[in-house]
Amino acid sequence: MLANVFTKSVRDRVSSGLIGALALAATLLFGLWAYKDVDISFYYDLPAAVLELMGIDPETFGVASMAYGAMYDFMGAFIVGGVAISIGAAAIAGEEQVGTFGLLLGNPLSRRDALVSKTASLVLILVLMGVFLWVSAILSAELIGVDTGGVHLGAISVALTLNGLFYGLLALAIGSWTGRRGKASGVAAGVMVLGYLGANLLPLIDQDGLAHLFPWYYYSSNSPLNNGLNMADAAVLGGLSIVCFAFAWVGIQKRDLRDKGAEVTMADRLRANPMTRKMMERIAGSARVSGITVKSASEFQGLLTVTAGIMFYMGFFIPILYNFIPTDFVEIFATFPDALIAMIGGVDMSTPAGFVTGEIFSLVGPIAIIVLLASMGARALAGEEESHTMGLLMANPVSRGEIVVKKALAMVALAVAFGATTALGTWIGSLIGGQDEISLDGIASISALLTLFGLVFGGVSLAVSAATGRRKFATWATTGVALVTWFMFTFLALTESAAAVTNFSPFQWYLGSDPLVNGISWTDAALLGGAFVALVAVSVPLFAQRDLRG
Amino acid sequence: MTDAAILTEGLTKHYGDVKALVDLDLEVRMGEVFGFLGPNGAGKTTMIRSCLDLIHPTAGKATLVGLDSHADSVEIRRHIGYLPSDLSMYGDLTGRDMITYFANLRGGVDQNYVDELADRLQADLAKKVGDLSSGNRQKVGLILAFMSRPQLIIMDEPSTGLDPLVQREFQSMMREVAIDGRCVFLSSHTLSEVQRVADRVGIIRSGHLVDVESVGDLRSKAIRSIELHFDSAVDATVFESVDGVRDVMVVDHHATMSFDGQMDALLRVATEHYTLLDVNTQEADLEEIFLEYYRQEGAAL
Repeated sequence: MLANVFTKSVRDRVSSGLIGALALAATLLFGLWAYKDVDISFYYDLPAAVLELMGIDPETFGVASMAYGAMYDFMGAFIVGGVAISIGAAAIAGEEQVGTFGLLLGNPLSRRDALVSKTASLVLILVLMGVFLWVSAILSAELIGVDTGGVHLGAISVALTLNGLFYGLLALAIGSWTGRRGKASGVAAGVMVLGYLGANLLPLIDQDGLAHLFPWYYYSSNSPLNNGLNMADAAVLGGLSIVCFAFAWVGIQKRDLRDKGAEVTMADRLRANPMTRKMMERIAGSARVSGITVKSASEFQGLLTVTAGIMFYMGFFIPILYNFIPTDFVEIFATFPDALIAMIGGVDMSTPAGFVTGEIFSLVGPIAIIVLLASMGARALAGEEESHTMGLLMANPVSRGEIVVKKALAMVALAVAFGATTALGTWIGSLIGGQDEISLDGIASISALLTLFGLVFGGVSLAVSAATGRRKFATWATTGVALVTWFMFTFLALTESAAAVTNFSPFQWYLGSDPLVNGISWTDAALLGGAFVALVAVSVPLFAQRDLRG
Repeated sequence: MTDAAILTEGLTKHYGDVKALVDLDLEVRMGEVFGFLGPNGAGKTTMIRSCLDLIHPTAGKATLVGLDSHADSVEIRRHIGYLPSDLSMYGDLTGRDMITYFANLRGGVDQNYVDELADRLQADLAKKVGDLSSGNRQKVGLILAFMSRPQLIIMDEPSTGLDPLVQREFQSMMREVAIDGRCVFLSSHTLSEVQRVADRVGIIRSGHLVDVESVGDLRSKAIRSIELHFDSAVDATVFESVDGVRDVMVVDHHATMSFDGQMDALLRVATEHYTLLDVNTQEADLEEIFLEYYRQEGAAL
């Protein structure tokens, strides 16, 4: 596997692709198993407009269509896109940042040779993921005994791959132009999230034309699972991917390559300016290195700004958007049977509070805060070990337990900032949108529970990080726990035999009491807070007992 | 404060079947610079990391500045400075930020002394450490290790990337620590540096401590290199008969050899057969002693 740049790149990255595909396949298997026993007859009673909105063909609709749709339309696309972005960002910019790109180019190899090899490895890994998901979709159906007639598994697998390829190549192109891995993955992930929101929300307010501007639209709008691959959509995604590659082709040749080094931030520029130096020294200079907690928190200012910014934007936008949804749609939402409402997180989308909960707090909020705090938990301990700074830190009079606790406190600080920003955006949006039904108490309650909910997953990440010293393990374990508990909250709630399991899911503790409407449930808050404290407490001996790396 | 800066008793570390450190007994004293020598993978870093409680020994114990390396690890860190090998830092912080951060964690750091160290090492503290060359990054690491005037400074390959001028200043700094009654534990491959600054050296191979000697004793016991110049061509066999002579090489009027015997006997034989014009004797340097140890121990192990 070390024969050339292409095979080495495949070797380095194929495991993350296959782990992602495996997690998805496992969730799909459980999903099919859970859906098999669900009475879905209510779907056939829904108005034709709703079925059309949901991309459902009454002729072919069944358990398979429902389960595969739930898996691949959102989660699958985000996992494949996320893996592609991480590979694309690491391909050129990642190598530059760790200083190995110069080493690579010390051999008889041009920049563009390296780019082509890296791109080919990205394509191969995504194709492997697509094939894996396609095969596992077929095998899962066989195993569970579900009829797959009427669903286009090959088409959804191809669409997933093409969609992921675009975001991966976008990250690759940005990395090739800037040499900055963080910028490459951040911008590509931002385009993906905004694309998802734009493609799904704009049609609700009759802005279908605007939705065409978002690449995600060409993945989801024609529902390849139910209708087969739309060649025009595939051509758009393929064409955008080629444009990204061409962009990378030009970018990598034009600029000076960077040696490994630090990124110059806005704070650095302000610090260098005599006019603003004094102020910035207070804010970003000596203040941010005053202790372990502050320094750890400051390392995540960027990710906090992006994730909390998205939440502020969503919180501000969604309550106002509700006013623009045609009454027909609102009435349609009101006709949803209880079983369907349970499936979308138990929220009644026909009310402003339900719509805000569904659009902001059910999925986007949990994902954003998990991304923020799981990254932080993983980097807190394992990151220091992997970057070989733990030895230097431990040369100071601080115990291992103290390090864990101070890193956990930094996590709390970030979670609170995230929750407060979300609450503020939602409150302002509700005021401007005139949503009197949404109270400040409700907003504070759901935001507080979201904060505690995020801390639970940050705690999982911290514990795995403490136990293993490996960032990758911490990230994947947290992703796995998030998927399983989300599955428990949504799918298992629909089954009679396993519905009680829902009570063990942090999603249930967070959303089960409908806090935006009913205010905070102190029991749920205690469960979430207790789980976080327990995870931090477990992390201390896990970290203290083992040999440290780096 | 105790007289022993580092005391290990039966210190052992195994990684599965790999014996990284075997039954290591070592005493490093206050008031000395102690050089710790060994090839790559000999167990130097494992020993240091065990002493610093970064890894847990499989058996045995270590005491640093009179405190137990595991039970009192936090207290120990108040009294030590540490520079790891292959130094990594927070790339997005400036050198000054790095120092401020660790000074905050440690407490009691004199900023004037930091500035003095930065001046002596010609360190640029305004730049982000991620943008510094490895040598300049190393200077920041050295300041971190020295800045609190600790009782014991442990450094693993500290001279990496330093230019000769800065190396000389760094060596002065180490000697000053020893004169001050404190201790420097220096793990290094740069034998000339160890020879110049260390009072004693410990030699480790495959996890075993091979020997601990003062640098002076080692050199006096060591083989010297002798060069003899004659007025006519000479025969190597004449010298090979002398006790302590080995590796004789003769080129025309010149003979060179390694020698660890009585000089009187060698000169007698030389002048008996030929007219000796000049004698050049060179004391063995640590590198030769080191290599000799490994030749011997390699055969023994």
